[in-house]
Amino acid sequence: MTTTPERTATDLVTVTIDGVSVDVPKDTLVIRAAEQVGVQIPRFCDHPLLAPVGACRQCLVDVPDAGNGRALPKPQASCTLPVADGMVVNTQLTSGVADKAQQGVMELLLINHPLDCPVCDKGGECPLQNQAMSNGRGDSRFEGVKRTFPKPIHLSPQVLLDRERCIVCQRCTRFAEEVAGDPFISLVERGARQQIGIAEDAPFLSYFAGNTIQICPVGALTSEAYRFRSRPFDLVSSPGVAEHDACGAAIRVDHRRGKVMRRLSGDDPEVNEEWISDKDRFAFRYLTATDRLPYPQVRGDDGVLHPASWPEAFAVAARGLATARAAGGVGVLTGGRLTFEDAYAYSVFARVALGTNDVDFRARPHSDEETGFLGAHVAASGPVAGRRGVTYGDLEGARTVVLVGLEPEDEAGTIFLRLRKASRKGTTVLSVAPYLTRGADKVRALLVPTAPGEEGAVLRGLADRAEELAGSALGDQDVVLVGERLATSPGALTAAAELAAATGARLAWVPRRAGDRGAVEAGCLPTLLPGGRPVADASARVDAAAAWGVGSLPETPGRDAAAIAAAAAAGELAGLVVGGVDPDDTTDPATTRAALAAASFVVSLELRASEVTEHADVVLPIAPVTDKAGSFVTWEGRVRPFDAVFTVPGSLPDLRVLAGIAEELGTPLGFRTVDEARDQIEALGTWDGERPAAPVPAPAAPPAAHPASGGVVLALSTWRQLLDGGSLQDGDDALTQTRRPAVARLGQTAYDALGAPAEVTLHGDRGTLTLPVEVVRTMVDGVVWVPARSVGRGLLADLAGPGARLRVTAGGAL
Amino acid sequence: MGIEEKLPSGVLLTTVEGVAGYMRKASFWPATFGLACCAIEMMTSGGPRYDTGRFGMEVFRASPRQADLMIVAGRVSQKMAPVLRQIYDQMAEPKWVLAMGVCASSGGMFNNYAIVQGVDHVVPVDMYLPGCPPRPEMLIDAILKLHDQVQSTKFGANRAKQVAELETAALNAVPTSDQKGLMR
Amino acid sequence: MSSPHEPQPDEAQPSFTTQLKEQLWDPVAGFGVTFRTMFRKVVTEEYPKVKKPTAPRFHGRHQLNRYPDGLEKCIGCELCAWACPADAIYVEGAQNTEDERYSPGERYGAVYQINYLRCILCGLCIEACPTRALTMTNFYELADDNREALIYEKSELLAPLLPGMEQPPHAMLLGEDEGDYYRGMFAPPPGDRAAAPTSTPETSSATPPAPRTARKAAR
Repeated sequence: MTTTPERTATDLVTVTIDGVSVDVPKDTLVIRAAEQVGVQIPRFCDHPLLAPVGACRQCLVDVPDAGNGRALPKPQASCTLPVADGMVVNTQLTSGVADKAQQGVMELLLINHPLDCPVCDKGGECPLQNQAMSNGRGDSRFEGVKRTFPKPIHLSPQVLLDRERCIVCQRCTRFAEEVAGDPFISLVERGARQQIGIAEDAPFLSYFAGNTIQICPVGALTSEAYRFRSRPFDLVSSPGVAEHDACGAAIRVDHRRGKVMRRLSGDDPEVNEEWISDKDRFAFRYLTATDRLPYPQVRGDDGVLHPASWPEAFAVAARGLATARAAGGVGVLTGGRLTFEDAYAYSVFARVALGTNDVDFRARPHSDEETGFLGAHVAASGPVAGRRGVTYGDLEGARTVVLVGLEPEDEAGTIFLRLRKASRKGTTVLSVAPYLTRGADKVRALLVPTAPGEEGAVLRGLADRAEELAGSALGDQDVVLVGERLATSPGALTAAAELAAATGARLAWVPRRAGDRGAVEAGCLPTLLPGGRPVADASARVDAAAAWGVGSLPETPGRDAAAIAAAAAAGELAGLVVGGVDPDDTTDPATTRAALAAASFVVSLELRASEVTEHADVVLPIAPVTDKAGSFVTWEGRVRPFDAVFTVPGSLPDLRVLAGIAEELGTPLGFRTVDEARDQIEALGTWDGERPAAPVPAPAAPPAAHPASGGVVLALSTWRQLLDGGSLQDGDDALTQTRRPAVARLGQTAYDALGAPAEVTLHGDRGTLTLPVEVVRTMVDGVVWVPARSVGRGLLADLAGPGARLRVTAGGAL
Repeated sequence: MGIEEKLPSGVLLTTVEGVAGYMRKASFWPATFGLACCAIEMMTSGGPRYDTGRFGMEVFRASPRQADLMIVAGRVSQKMAPVLRQIYDQMAEPKWVLAMGVCASSGGMFNNYAIVQGVDHVVPVDMYLPGCPPRPEMLIDAILKLHDQVQSTKFGANRAKQVAELETAALNAVPTSDQKGLMR
Repeated sequence: MSSPHEPQPDEAQPSFTTQLKEQLWDPVAGFGVTFRTMFRKVVTEEYPKVKKPTAPRFHGRHQLNRYPDGLEKCIGCELCAWACPADAIYVEGAQNTEDERYSPGERYGAVYQINYLRCILCGLCIEACPTRALTMTNFYELADDNREALIYEKSELLAPLLPGMEQPPHAMLLGEDEGDYYRGMFAPPPGDRAAAPTSTPETSSATPPAPRTARKAAR
């Protein structure tokens, strides 16, 4: 309204709503224009992020002048009516016609709606309930029998539908079709029996199905997880940030008497808009799992863990670490779920208290090339370092987005939704992958067929092929998203960086876990100090040493996670500090297990009892995300701070625990609270000196083919599905049931070569696995795809290491 | 079995604990601690209609040094808490505390910064009496339940053993911070 | 000016009989009140021995009522907890299944706690209850010696099973669906001669629904 006259002339039109004149952009809907003058028109089907449909007719307004001097003959649905210059609109506040029309619609909607508000989960936060009070009649003239349906039907194992409550606004079907791209639900039947339905053999298995529950304006859609568990008016809502992926989706944690009852999507237009994945929404029961560690434990002389007080545990841990430090050194494995501040504490703890650079956050396959890439291209980039990074908005505005080693639907749900939105507006998505996944298809991606391990070569050629593939050459409007999986493909990260440098396209690294990007910034890497400072740079070391109040810092770059595990297993490292690492996630689970068993002193900082606990000499329970403040750094480099939801005195964040041990060691970290850590991070700032050049990777030896004896030899392509065997998804059976089934995906050639089997057995160097077969038409020849963690202990433990070639035979394992 | 069988009929035996408990319970001298509306009901209980004199407690003493039962009747503000504790400390042993009404017992509906959330934060409470305010019958019922408790009080070695048992039970109990529902 | 003690002209010296009455009778007459009272009915209530019934509308401890077939009326809607000014009620709902049904309809109160150390017995919860599941009895002897015992669980609050009632969980015996229950459109249960459509007596006498000793033992 305070725009310049030129803009007013071109973009804005003037309308009069309830006698108030307002300038709004052309094509604005009347219902939005009314919001600008503070008039709330009742509505059900209208949602700002969905296309207008005019299904519920609740938003009727009177239009005495449509902008052409003539009145529209009947009340109009304001959610589908764009403004016109000079239009006059009278809402229910000033027009008896509009008010009567709205009341009539409300009366009709309520004819078949049951009055079971005390039972209904929506009761108390229900738009229908609220608007029936504000814009409805006090009583109904309907005297017949209400239409009823048999009580709820499962649209999916998680989502239930009470059909009699449905007012057929189609918000859910529109969401499924427009936003998620999973049109498994739609309107069926006609007239009074019109209802939302699914096909018999196709349940509503979408990774984003939970959003329909949240946007349902009545209580028709409910979740198995929250059904009848609480009432809205009993819940306290705290804002939070989702801890399941690196997208930093805003969530709302609704809790009651110290227990999380449900999680809803927060509203953050810059990040997740109003949508979150089902994992973010439903996977919170791990917080109340029975194997949560209640108090610190110390292994006694009898070899059994005994409960201990915090000071005692700190003292024992400090004593043991001091001995181990003297006996060969201590390695620090932090895991990928830390907050930025906690990761920073690990980073400082390793350097200051343990005097080592042997710290690595990567609890997954990784490579030296990746270490160099992170230091050269990822650390100290983006908003966290005060620089401009690739953002969600950039994805939406890009001409072309190249996905390499990244399956957004599984690995970064919020990116997937943004890409889908972008692709509907014309962005071209190129997916460098072995086959066109369903998720890639939903973002209308064009497949650049690539066998695993050949990403580097394909990326080197992509600058020339982009125009032919995507219709335009890559430029500075375009984005290359590389996934963390690319670390297992030699040369690929380097090629991606070269591609970005050559074309001007912007590069972003998308890790899978929430804490990964923050750990890079915090310096949980053997070659990096906080703020992207290279360990090898003397002035960077002086910088950090001055901030931490120590004389000097260890000079030699440390070992990475795999090397730490190998060194500990070989007896070179005497101690390990492990912060929530599942051995099955690491490059070589057997080595990690051997390292845990061989290390003379193991300190475990964990939320729940795990395999590490069995080997640990000191077990320190740490606070889950609900009990501590902190921040996650998204893949964009955006810092997403959050506050503690609960105040639990005995629940300490990692940084407080590490500070306690460091103080016992006589080398205080300089902070004990999250705020103090933030102050120190800010005081330290980011590195603005010379960046380390990414090392040129050695040419990779071709993976040794598995000794073939029958069957075919195929390259293994794998990633983790959104819902799989991860321990953060424990406790919700309905969520477990919405997992996609584990299948082995084969190309037609391999399928035919095997004789069209119903299931295949995969033989790797670490074990064998039998899975049902699914044929994928677009699959590159010579590749088999298997989900990484959906069966058993995961592929790394049960099948083969990263980049392996497998022998595949038809039929079950015999 | 023992000496009882050899005694002539009409002779009763009891224990020192029993006698002492009987004497103690039959001669409560309450200290008035009327703080609010509950005090009105407490006064009525001392009047002719309910007449606590029937239980040997007709005199409400104005001095804590002459009293052994403190009936905390009403909400205890944070400012009143030290006074309450001082009065309790001035009372002669053995002494008991009866929290009358929900405000004294737990803060009641006054869940705010000004009110002590249960007088057991300040003094040990032997009997909690719900009600807002409790009617005199309820107070008398609470006093009679306290009588039973006093009657069965143990002494000497027995008492030490009982204390040890209670202490163990309390240590093994779920801490309040871990309890669910309304105990939180 | 005359002294106040000086007799006034119209106030003659009291007569002899008056003087006699004042000096001899009046001091004794005071005892007459005492004497008369000795023959009156004693006002003191013999409370623990004789329990005078309260007014029928007295707000005593709560009771969770049942339908005549024994199903619980509570649907776990938490409106009572919402209405409670002292935050003394805690309810958790849960879903009835066909195999395990506690109340008609989909939802029942799985956890129901009333903290009598917060409850001011105001009765707002009773007014809030949409199914008349929660009512108040006339029972008032609630004192106890620890806080925990004064948080009453659902098992202690539920009305006793009257003849003809069956301990839930069981199927809906009185009607096709929950609507029949809510509207009171069910046939009187067999064996219950005076079955009003709306169920069990909702305010019972001062009899406690469950004996305290039994309740304690169950803890």
